[in-house]
Amino acid sequence: MNNPVLLIIIPLLLAFVSVIIKKAGKWILLLGVLINTVLAFFITTGETIIGGFLPPAGINLVVTQFTLVGVILINSLMLLTIIMSIDLVGKYSVILLTALAGINGMLLTGDLFNLFIFMEITVIAAYILSAQAKKYHHTITYLIIGSVGSTFYLLGIILLYHLTGSLNMADVAAKLPLLTTKELLVPILLIFIGIGVEVKLLPVSGWVKGVYAHANRLIAPLFASIIAGTALFVFGKLFVSVLPLSDTLTMLILVMSVMTFVFGEFAAFKQKQVKEILLFSSIGQAGLITALFISGLVYAAVILIISNVVSKLIMFTIAGAFTEKYQTDNYHSLSGVFVHNKITGIAFTIAALSMTGIPLLIGFYAKLNILIGFFHAGNYVLPVIVLLMTIVEGAYIIKLLLALWAPGKEGQVSLESFAVEKKQLLSVKNTAICLIVALVLIVGGTLIDTTSKIVTNGQPLLGDESPYFIISQSKGGE
Amino acid sequence: MIRLASLLLLLIGLYGVLTTKNVIKMIISINIMELGVNIFIISVGFITNGVAPNLTEHIDSSLSNFVDPLPQALVLTSIVIGLGITSLGLAFARKMNKKYGTYDLTMIGGMKDE
Repeated sequence: MNNPVLLIIIPLLLAFVSVIIKKAGKWILLLGVLINTVLAFFITTGETIIGGFLPPAGINLVVTQFTLVGVILINSLMLLTIIMSIDLVGKYSVILLTALAGINGMLLTGDLFNLFIFMEITVIAAYILSAQAKKYHHTITYLIIGSVGSTFYLLGIILLYHLTGSLNMADVAAKLPLLTTKELLVPILLIFIGIGVEVKLLPVSGWVKGVYAHANRLIAPLFASIIAGTALFVFGKLFVSVLPLSDTLTMLILVMSVMTFVFGEFAAFKQKQVKEILLFSSIGQAGLITALFISGLVYAAVILIISNVVSKLIMFTIAGAFTEKYQTDNYHSLSGVFVHNKITGIAFTIAALSMTGIPLLIGFYAKLNILIGFFHAGNYVLPVIVLLMTIVEGAYIIKLLLALWAPGKEGQVSLESFAVEKKQLLSVKNTAICLIVALVLIVGGTLIDTTSKIVTNGQPLLGDESPYFIISQSKGGE
Repeated sequence: MIRLASLLLLLIGLYGVLTTKNVIKMIISINIMELGVNIFIISVGFITNGVAPNLTEHIDSSLSNFVDPLPQALVLTSIVIGLGITSLGLAFARKMNKKYGTYDLTMIGGMKDE
């Protein structure tokens, strides 16, 4: 019952079934995602050996508390996305099921080469999904950057195989500290570039704007919260628990992450389209999360991933609805849109404020943990950057919310007659789901003891012993 | 020697990806890169005067000059993935050409979408 391999096999099997029964495609997809989400709640931590050969020679799936959080989060979000946008699935059910299999494989696998295969399955599905907008030059840009990245990743793991004679993550992690930092520099850098394409780090995130900005209500949350979230979990697993980083590499990756963070937030500030604001903010958050992983603050990073992907799911769904109903997502031409759709607006606002880090929302809890973690580690530069960027974040989020809530120009009395024409943005079902997910952000941010218990289950994630903020115990809670 | 040649192929491919504007040429360059990596993978398991890793009565199983079979299995997978990406890329290139009338990525930037 609780064999994690089912999470990979069931969507893959149903993908083939839905090729045969094309008409029932979207129901098969819904069934597959539903089964996966239910199963995700029943898997337990441990190791599953596949094929009967013992690792390191054989292949295994490893479930730790860290991957468990990832699997449950990503599968539930996938379910919500599919339920909300099932009318747009059409002929993409095969692709979405294959992507789901790849995503679960990426999260669960304990083998570096298997990770490469699952990553390829996921990104090939992502290439096809990105072509939905019919902007083929953006898809091709993504495909070219993506394939160069995965070629680098492959070369990196082959070099590791050459050095250690193994591809099993645990085995490699045990053997790598015996090697010199000079030998490890090239393979780790190559792996970093390969993963960096999917994580959207700065020098290799050129594809993001073209792909995200034209995606619809189904594809945009899929990229921004599901695939991006998976990539971040994989990054964390590899760079915290498998690959040992020398000081030079830590510095290099940290600088690149922080540059991505700063660039992403400032670029988001400059944009006029809602989706472009959100996509640059995703790039920025991805940079911050990788910086946290590299600094060893795994708990803060996981909370930030949760806060970020859940907010982005709501916001990208609503931003997709803007282009669907009004043919634009420029916030100047959408002024006062939430006056007609108050509940949708409230959900969007909660998600946006959580992203900025307003107290009582989970984003605030994430930022609090980041700051406490950095101060405990004696790092005083990064908290300054995080706080300064929060101001930038707050500035563009407030600007955006103001335009969407209050019709009329600056200095005018905001009257409903200035607003855009009245259209229902989301159906009742979707509005309800958005609101419930937004309430989860509030509940998760207020009952932080429960949140930390659910996320950590009492154990440190990936061996992260740094303190985190909870109220009832004194562990790090100042 | 074979390793240097494979890395040279990789660099030629990377140079091609970075310098050409034509999508088809870019996809071919990626193919050359993948070819370089594949040859590199094979070279990792290669031993001069090695024998195939089959246990038969003609081969003394105590010999240690077996060629590593794992890279060969890996390279098969990698070739298949490369093929998939190439065909997908070519399909997108064809679609792009149908829509915009060009294979040149830099030409499309300023074009109207409709």
